Amino acid sequence: MSSTALSYTLVITGAPWASQAPQTALEFARALVQAGHRLDRVFLYGDGIHLASALATPPSDEPNWPRQWAEFLAAHQVPAVACIASALRRGLVNEAEQGRYELPASNLLAPFEIAGLGEWVEGRLKTDRTVYFHGSGA
Amino acid sequence: MTTLIVIDQAPYGSWSGREALDMAFSLAAFDQPVSLLFCDAGVNWLRQGQQATELGQKTVEKNLAAAPMFGVEAILADGPACQRYGLDDSNLLAGVTRVEAVEPIIARHTDVLFAG
Repeated sequence: MSSTALSYTLVITGAPWASQAPQTALEFARALVQAGHRLDRVFLYGDGIHLASALATPPSDEPNWPRQWAEFLAAHQVPAVACIASALRRGLVNEAEQGRYELPASNLLAPFEIAGLGEWVEGRLKTDRTVYFHGSGA
Repeated sequence: MTTLIVIDQAPYGSWSGREALDMAFSLAAFDQPVSLLFCDAGVNWLRQGQQATELGQKTVEKNLAAAPMFGVEAILADGPACQRYGLDDSNLLAGVTRVEAVEPIIARHTDVLFAG
């Protein structure tokens, strides 16, 4: 048990299945909460936004990283945001963006939200630690 | 908090460099001190006369030109990497500072982050 509790922002830039970033970040998130620290927010950037897709449907005997993350976020009431520019570019949209761009569908998995890089800037300023989980290209 | 954003991959092959640039612009827009460091193949971002239309992309030169307007403090390039890729005063973009070594640059920033 840690004597000094810290607050964290996690930034995930690696995509599920293409990299280990979402899995490693989830293990890290579980460990820090268990150790008594606070996970303030999760920010998905670049290819990391694929973690927030409601349409990922791996075979039933394989891990579903979006669903596992969504369950963790809901259980611990941690806000998670996908960068809007990264998300739109890669075809991840909520209902508002679907309407704005007149797209045929939306696919953002709850409780993930879509917002700007300002969320990341604020997270860096407000929390004690910001930790990055990159894909293999980094 | 002073942030250094490092771009170490050549432009055009992926969007990670452009997205790292957006992070820098975002910090600057919120009045957070930020500089850019180009090293390894990333120094090719800084070459004059890029013709990305051949690739069907917009040149990153234009994106970079916005850095001073956003308030990015410095655009730094690793000198040895510039030499390796044939970049010198004759073909390097204006406003770029070449440094002899990156270690002291990294040491004087509280936060260092890479393109994802």
